[in-house]
Amino acid sequence: MLGLGLGIAALGVGIGLGLIGMGAMNGMSRQPEAIGKLQVNMLIALAFVELVFLLTVFIAPGSFAGK
Amino acid sequence: MRMSGMVGPVFSLLASGGHGPSFLGLAIYLFFVLLIIFATMTLAKKGLSSRVFTNVFAKLYEQLYLFIENMCVGTIGPHGRKYVPMIMTFWLAIFVGSFVALFFPTSPTADLSFNLGMALIAVFYVQHEGISTHYAELRKQGKDPVTAGVVGFFRHISHFSGPKLGIALIPITLMIFVIEIISEMMKNVSLSLRLFGNINGGHQAVEAMNELGSSVYIPIGNFLLPIKLLTCVVQAMIFTLLTCVYISLVTHHEDEHAHEAAHAH
Repeated sequence: MLGLGLGIAALGVGIGLGLIGMGAMNGMSRQPEAIGKLQVNMLIALAFVELVFLLTVFIAPGSFAGK
Repeated sequence: MRMSGMVGPVFSLLASGGHGPSFLGLAIYLFFVLLIIFATMTLAKKGLSSRVFTNVFAKLYEQLYLFIENMCVGTIGPHGRKYVPMIMTFWLAIFVGSFVALFFPTSPTADLSFNLGMALIAVFYVQHEGISTHYAELRKQGKDPVTAGVVGFFRHISHFSGPKLGIALIPITLMIFVIEIISEMMKNVSLSLRLFGNINGGHQAVEAMNELGSSVYIPIGNFLLPIKLLTCVVQAMIFTLLTCVYISLVTHHEDEHAHEAAHAH
């Protein structure tokens, strides 16, 4: 059950990371001179989305162990 | 050892049962990291006397300095050059701290206590900078040091209460204040957990893949080392970048005031 939950979390976070990457790539190809700024903002967004999965990884075992 | 509720996983993470290094191990790894940083820095200093940098370490540190300076000035603004030493210390500690895991079994950043320590330092440094910017502003207006300190402290705290609302909306201001304080506390957790999760996750992926290839005696997991190197750079960059963003959030008003003054004149 825990594995399934983590899989679902990974699915959602993967879609989110992909969307961020897609947006950044679109922006970069449209405006190559803004690559530096876009990369920085993309990394910040990636970090925030990644944190959701990490929190899931750390919180989920505890909430499953209690049941 | 089983503990009930939410305390269990957190406690087992802090006590590092099995995976992370023990406290003495962490100290030894930290000694390694400090040794590497000091040794490369000393070697880099030797090349500074020549007109053109021929020393490899001097070149590396020059490029690193330019990168960090660019990040600070780009994120915080023109007064961001002041924060380069702090940010560069974080960058070096995180990068070298994760980098040793490419040669040794584990690394200090794979331990939550080290990351939490760094995150606490970063967040409290941000608070200190927020207060000291107000202090400097008030000193410029001619207040005496004690008044400037107290008023600066309360002005910094008042940032947590969000935008200025009417008297009727005091409960909402209070709620915003509480939520902002909690989010400030969660910055520690998010900074440290992100670093810990990425580095420790990388180690566990390598271990799992090595286990997979153990029947044919090929350490498949070690093919992940380039990705781990990339993780080292990216995580060091994200930690420092987020610290820069937090600093820019608390020290930004200085620029706005300067612009307003410029418009007024």
